[in-house]
Amino acid sequence: MTPTLLDIHSVSLTFPGVERPILSNITYAVQTGDFVIVLGSNGSGKSSLLKLIDQRYQPSSGKINLDGKLLTSYRDKSFHCAVKTLTQNYHESLFTSLTVLENYLLIRQQYEPNLLAIKTQHESEFLQTYLSQFNTNLSSKLNQIVDQLSGGEKQALALALTVLYPPRILLLDEHTSALDPKSAEQLMSMTQQITEKYHITCILTTHDLAIAEQYGNRILALRNGKIHHRIENDKKQDFNQENLLAACY
Amino acid sequence: MMLASLISAIFTQSLTFLPLALGISISYSLLRATDMTLDGSFVLGAAVFARLVTLGISPVIAGLCALIAGSLAGVMVSFIQRGGRVDPLLAGVLATFILTSGNLALMGRPNINLLTQHTLVSTAFAQSNLAGWSLVALYSLSFCLISCLLVRSRFGLMLRALGDNPALLKRLGTPVETYRLLGFALTNSLAAVSGILTAQTVGYADVGMGFGMTLTGIGAIILGQQILRAMLKRTTLRVAAEFSACVIGVLLYFFAMNGLLRCDINPVYLKMILGIILIIFLRSAVNPNQKRAQS
Repeated sequence: MTPTLLDIHSVSLTFPGVERPILSNITYAVQTGDFVIVLGSNGSGKSSLLKLIDQRYQPSSGKINLDGKLLTSYRDKSFHCAVKTLTQNYHESLFTSLTVLENYLLIRQQYEPNLLAIKTQHESEFLQTYLSQFNTNLSSKLNQIVDQLSGGEKQALALALTVLYPPRILLLDEHTSALDPKSAEQLMSMTQQITEKYHITCILTTHDLAIAEQYGNRILALRNGKIHHRIENDKKQDFNQENLLAACY
Repeated sequence: MMLASLISAIFTQSLTFLPLALGISISYSLLRATDMTLDGSFVLGAAVFARLVTLGISPVIAGLCALIAGSLAGVMVSFIQRGGRVDPLLAGVLATFILTSGNLALMGRPNINLLTQHTLVSTAFAQSNLAGWSLVALYSLSFCLISCLLVRSRFGLMLRALGDNPALLKRLGTPVETYRLLGFALTNSLAAVSGILTAQTVGYADVGMGFGMTLTGIGAIILGQQILRAMLKRTTLRVAAEFSACVIGVLLYFFAMNGLLRCDINPVYLKMILGIILIIFLRSAVNPNQKRAQS
């Protein structure tokens, strides 16, 4: 049996002054290699769940373990290497007034502090090769300022840089929702390529049932902060948009 | 003859103002903070230098002390706003408020005369005006060059990243408060350099000589940026272009100021008229796409 990577145990989240809990008694285990799709209407608690996992929020009760250890027991740096988040807002993941290459250098220097002292020619070649594996034009735009890229390119760059040093868990919070259907499709196929190549466990929130049907191997549906429905990998026949719509909304 | 004197006035005033303008450009365009402390640091540089020189201390040591004092003013403003507890604009105003008293206490009186003192440029000016201004240019441009090199280095990349997305930089494990402190130390020491040079070239240090300097600098820089953006047909400028914009803006500002003074405009209305000219320039320099987006 695949070992449990992330164990969410009886987790609740409330905000001071807000009567209704944002999340209530959530228990869910994520195994290595899972591609979990979290569905639910606006305000159901999808994004809050991801924020609990990446420690932007702390649970009001319950606990979350990563590899059997409490999330809070990890040092900041090792935690941020293990769990990474990408949202629909690329501004959170990129330095938009800097070039593609400068963004890459800033992310690499987190892992290699002496990097920026090295000539950037070698780094430039490395980045070009790295980006060319994805079906984008980014490899020819290393010296372009991020703000001048298209929305799809910015999200693709944000994803590529997020997994430059592959995390154990990738949290994707509606990362395709601001894109047109074609760009969203390209980004999802890039997401799948990346998670398969680097064996990354992925938890993705979305409203797009087609994405859930095509890419997920487990579905978690939230309603009013509670787990309303779950579909596991062995019930793949339930993964069709009609069933998902009925089950989740 | 009149044109030569106008050009000479523009260039000489720009030379002493340029380090300050560069400091403003780094804080405004790269760090994305409107650091009003620069008004106070400009005077602090002049005050420390003038006070020490009149005490008989070597101008070189006085200059170094004034430079360090300027950077300490940057450290102070960084501590005031540390962790986002005080709004950056307010922190700058508060620091300037503190420096107003500090500068007066340092100088011991509102004005110190340097005309009879031995300064960094006095010997050169005694030979000829050209020699004097050449030395001023050497000092001013050297500091500007060092700052440009710093901004193009790893340190500069960190400053630009800090101005762009401090939350992401912090998540990447970079000590953002240290870089903020170093950034403000750099910009305020550049303001102090301007103060030191101005005190020597005008022949005195005055406690009110920094009033409105930061806003003037920001206005000049925005003007330069808009012109350069229109010329290059770009919405964003790289580091070299930002600095070029700074130089263009400063030259244009002093051109406008000296031009107005030569038209016998009452100096009382000078800043009002300059402000209105700046508004007209800025409004006309907005590119058509921006205009459409705004409407």
